[in-house]
Amino acid sequence: MVDATMPLRRRRFRVRNLRFWIPLTWIMMLVLAALCAPLIAPHDPLAQDLFLERLPPFFMDGAEPGYWLGTDSLGRDVLSRMIYGARIALFVSVIAAVSTGIFGSTLGLLAGYYGGWWDRVISRLVDIWMAFPPVLFAVLLVAVMGTGLTSVIAAIALIDWTRFARVIRAETMVQAHMDYVDSARIGGARRFTTLVSEILPNVMPSIIALLMLEMGIAVIVEAILSFVNLSISSDDPTWGSMIAEGRGAIHFAWWVLLFPLITLFLTVLSFSTLGEGIKKKFDPVLSS
Amino acid sequence: MTYSPTPPKPPLFSVRNLRLSFPDHAHKPLFGAAPRIEVLKGLDLDIPEGRITGIVGESGSGKSTFGRVLVRLLEPDTGEVLFDGQDISTLDENALRPLRRNLQMIFQDPMSSLNPRHKVWRIIAQPMKRYKCGGTREDAVNALEKVGLPADFADRYPHELSGGQRQRVGIARAIALQPRFILADEIVSGLDVSSQAQVLSLLQNLAREMGLTIAFISHDLSVIRHLCDEVIVLNHGEIVDCGPVEEVFSNPQSDITKSLLSAIPRPEIDESWFN
Amino acid sequence: MTTQPHEKTLEIRQLNATLPNGMRLLRDVSLTLEPGEVRALVGESGAGKSMIGRAVLGILPSAVVHSSGDILLEGQSLNALRPKTRRSTVAKMSALIPQDPLTALNPVRKIGPQITDPLVRIHRWSRDRALKRALELLERVHIRNPERVINSYPHELSGGMRQRILIAAAFAPSPRLIVADEPTTALDVTVQKQILQLIRELQRETGTAVLFVTHDMGVVAKISQKVTVLFAGRVLEDAPTEAIFNDATHPYTRGLIAATPTPNATAEPFRPVPQDLIAQLQRDTQAEDMRFYQGGRK
Repeated sequence: MVDATMPLRRRRFRVRNLRFWIPLTWIMMLVLAALCAPLIAPHDPLAQDLFLERLPPFFMDGAEPGYWLGTDSLGRDVLSRMIYGARIALFVSVIAAVSTGIFGSTLGLLAGYYGGWWDRVISRLVDIWMAFPPVLFAVLLVAVMGTGLTSVIAAIALIDWTRFARVIRAETMVQAHMDYVDSARIGGARRFTTLVSEILPNVMPSIIALLMLEMGIAVIVEAILSFVNLSISSDDPTWGSMIAEGRGAIHFAWWVLLFPLITLFLTVLSFSTLGEGIKKKFDPVLSS
Repeated sequence: MTYSPTPPKPPLFSVRNLRLSFPDHAHKPLFGAAPRIEVLKGLDLDIPEGRITGIVGESGSGKSTFGRVLVRLLEPDTGEVLFDGQDISTLDENALRPLRRNLQMIFQDPMSSLNPRHKVWRIIAQPMKRYKCGGTREDAVNALEKVGLPADFADRYPHELSGGQRQRVGIARAIALQPRFILADEIVSGLDVSSQAQVLSLLQNLAREMGLTIAFISHDLSVIRHLCDEVIVLNHGEIVDCGPVEEVFSNPQSDITKSLLSAIPRPEIDESWFN
Repeated sequence: MTTQPHEKTLEIRQLNATLPNGMRLLRDVSLTLEPGEVRALVGESGAGKSMIGRAVLGILPSAVVHSSGDILLEGQSLNALRPKTRRSTVAKMSALIPQDPLTALNPVRKIGPQITDPLVRIHRWSRDRALKRALELLERVHIRNPERVINSYPHELSGGMRQRILIAAAFAPSPRLIVADEPTTALDVTVQKQILQLIRELQRETGTAVLFVTHDMGVVAKISQKVTVLFAGRVLEDAPTEAIFNDATHPYTRGLIAATPTPNATAEPFRPVPQDLIAQLQRDTQAEDMRFYQGGRK
């Protein structure tokens, strides 16, 4: 009876955390599905069975038990293909986002902190880079390097590092003008030490938020490249290639298109929401 | 105007013909360099060792700029800054680093001068480690004790402290290195009167105990009056008044000092103040 | 504007404000302001002094979920009005002189319209009349070249100039009440003196009542006739200024006055408000909160 406002406080606490926990649960589910794909997928994602083509999902008439989300026009199980597709999607997103993040953030930190020639060179490079149409750039790259996962990851990193470089440069410039940077100088710190041990921890939450966003973007880019058949071989199940195949059959088997599309949508949304949530959790000032 | 204080000891700082200008980006022509604004217009002064020298002036007087030249966060255009006989005005960062231990600073805004992501003990201990004069958690706790903060503050983050407590941490960081000189730049202007009084009496006691040499920058003549031994009044980058505090306050030479003194609203009823 | 002023320009009755986490910002604050009077609201940070000014103007931060009590402007209870009428009533009768002259003016608009817009929009004046009044007021606040200034942008003017413009804008519609929220804190002492003088002159000429929020007991002594001393959103003392400085009844008030530094050689330096007194006040506040919550729970 001491604190009449306790329920109020708890309610706000919950709403704020739901925005963190729901996307996290979804991502964890995907990670689990990707790791244990052979164990949980009900069917071989590549097994074709022309007698079972275009089976509807379980809640419709004519569904076959065991094929929960139906089958595509070659009789392959949609659910199993989506589970295996998560492997590729997550692998690409993590590797691509981390390499993009490391490359872009390093350039952003250097440009923002050292200024002068560093800044002029890196900023011009970013400007020039951003003047290329990104999708065309990606298609061109993959065409030159050949299809395959490595090319997809390289394409993402080479296109999107500018996002990190721009945002982190701006953030670093703000931090570089704070008094704690001067006070590190007063305390005898070298320039590079100041950048790594004083500024970087303050920029880290932004890097993490961007990283999450980038993972979502990587999933999309991979899907786009799969859609236009420039990712890995079309037999391998990726969400993008499923969507591409489903497009042809939309009038008589909409589920082949819709389920991977929803998965893709939820995944990208989860990544970007999670980014904001993690940023807040990692910030000692915001989280208190 | 040249100012040399009375004590026979050689001054810690001797500043001669110090000039500094900043580019004026607001009036930069489309092509070519921006015009420069002169902030310090040839300062000549000495800062005596073991005393507190107040530097006072209104905004735009150049007092903070001057302070930052003393600790060499800024490089002057021309002139000499002799610290203990050595000209530090043109040294580069590598040559300055060993000297920096003796050129400490307490900042105006303790929120932005303490890294929000480091714990208090780390903020204090890191410079000590660099200069090999300690740097353990225990050393930091000792420094905290000196400024009247309990040991458990060592594991807090700056944002968990009040304004006055943060400013104590700033003082602890500076004195932990046992420097020969400390610049205090408007260190109480963001504090309530009550914590202001606490921080100032702490600084006064520390200065007496440790024999510190402090340059105390402030816009507040009342504070200068009670804290400092010497005072220098700046206006538009020039010295307009200087000397021992009692002298300058009882017999101000310039109109600037007079109007600064008369504009202070004292906490007493005085109908004639506005006239 | 020719109606006889009500005997109380402002009356605040038992005002409370609470944050969502249960923290109380204002605790049963009551005060009155008569026409032509300057009342200082004084206290240290967190005392709730700005919060009162904001509550009167209806611009409390959106985080304040719960507030109770009533505010009467010229005898008109604001609680009795619907939100829209309430906003227009407050806008017509009162004005704000903000703390920070650097951010209070829109940097991409010229000075002129920033003064005249409220006159046209809220007070339904014609453009000509508003412009004439703006020029008149700018001249009144000792701005040398008003015609040039109304065509300038804020960044072309100094901080002191901008604060004068904000004062001119506040007084232009001859409001009954002005809330001055630490209007001189960001300024140099010499400029502060001019600004205080200006507010005093204009206020005396127009008979406008001023709620003057400040943390500086020195400023309080010069500008106000009445003083409300606040601690943790609570009124500790409410008395005429002379009584406060000659014979304050509350020890906290005396502590605040003693802590204010003066350039007098005789004054004892750096006397903070005693810690045990502050601790005692905090305990009192907590005990009162206990009663408040238990009462509210019945």
